[in-house]
Amino acid sequence: MVRVLFSFLFGTVLMAQELVVVGDENFPEDNLTKEEIKSIFLDKKRFIDGEKVLAMNYRYKHPMRLCFERTILEKSERSLERYWRKAYYNGKRPPKVVTSVEMLFSYFENVHPTIGYVDANESLDKNLKVLYRGECP
Amino acid sequence: MKRIVSIIMFSTLLFSAEPITYGWDIPHTPLVIGGYIDAICDEKADDSFIFDDLSILLSANKNRFDFLSEIEVSSLNIDGKSNGSSDIDLNLERLQLTYALDDKRSIRVGRFNSDIGYWNQAPVNILQETITMPHMTHYLYPKATTGISYIEQINDDDRFSLTVQNNRDIGDESYLLIDRHVAMSYHDVLDELTWSFSAGYYREEKSQNEAYYAGLGIAYEFENVILQSELFTQNAKDGLSKPYSAYVQSSWNFAKQQNAVLRLEAYKDEVLATEEVVSLLGYVYRPLANMALKGEYVHHSDLPLNRFVASFSVMF
Repeated sequence: MVRVLFSFLFGTVLMAQELVVVGDENFPEDNLTKEEIKSIFLDKKRFIDGEKVLAMNYRYKHPMRLCFERTILEKSERSLERYWRKAYYNGKRPPKVVTSVEMLFSYFENVHPTIGYVDANESLDKNLKVLYRGECP
Repeated sequence: MKRIVSIIMFSTLLFSAEPITYGWDIPHTPLVIGGYIDAICDEKADDSFIFDDLSILLSANKNRFDFLSEIEVSSLNIDGKSNGSSDIDLNLERLQLTYALDDKRSIRVGRFNSDIGYWNQAPVNILQETITMPHMTHYLYPKATTGISYIEQINDDDRFSLTVQNNRDIGDESYLLIDRHVAMSYHDVLDELTWSFSAGYYREEKSQNEAYYAGLGIAYEFENVILQSELFTQNAKDGLSKPYSAYVQSSWNFAKQQNAVLRLEAYKDEVLATEEVVSLLGYVYRPLANMALKGEYVHHSDLPLNRFVASFSVMF
């Protein structure tokens, strides 16, 4: 029983969700820092190597979005609300929202350069550039 | 007027599923239209209950260009009359075009909020924790500039800006209407701590009085408390200066969607012949991300402006 419980707990730790920030296959950079990703998704940085980047987000309360907001943006829901109120007043726009991973991949295939994030397992068989790896808390 | 306000508020509730979506995309154009409404009840105002602001924001982003305009329909009282004269009083708050030179540098022309201190980045009720603003925001430096500004991101969060104006203001600023302005500012972000330094020179259009100003601001964001403080000084060439204006403000998120605000302010204004302390105790309730109900009591140690102010504001 103890062995079963230990295996279960150990397995749970191993299966902690990994988030990868990905770009389309021709994305101008091979990797980005967390600060650069943060700036792109907060509409503070729009260009990389002179090219305008399209940032994609999941819908509100999506588990991957919650993970991204905590891990990469490092902002609480209240803090993001406050940020986007002011940002909108100053002409900034939040990332586009996709309703599924398939929709996100469709953007990756058709729009360049595009940046988004997925569960690590989702990106394995796609032609995507992994720009940053993070782990959901 | 009441019908327009009702429609806006109703549609705001309908679109509240994604709390950070503001504005409506105008089909087949890069334009986004939105705005905000303020209804303020102020015991000391001429019209005790007024729609202080109904502002329309129009923005567009195309390639390296960013366009932004803010038109304010001001001082409408509850029955749709504006100070007993006409129904609509239009003010041009902002009309600006920004061009991104590269990944980090941009140029802005038009009429825009001067990049000075914390309040000028968001000088409207819905974006702030209080209805009334500190003395410095009206009297020590110009809120708006009609000119050109160079903005540089030092790294992803920090920025430097240089602003120049040498012409008439194309808007109708109610406090400091200027025809000359030179300003620089630096804003730095260090995780939860931010600080900024601003300094400049301006000349008032009517009186031709000239003044220099400088100020430092600092803010820290804890999990449930935001502390913010600024100190500015202004030195006028004609001799009547504002030697200091400073405040410390804390906003405590004590329950979900509810904040308590305390602000202590002190200033000396030789033009108003006043040196006083202003204390403010306020309450903010935000039922939705784009909506705020506020109430605050303001106590002045010298001027007869002690009063209760309440407001309802919506951004759409």
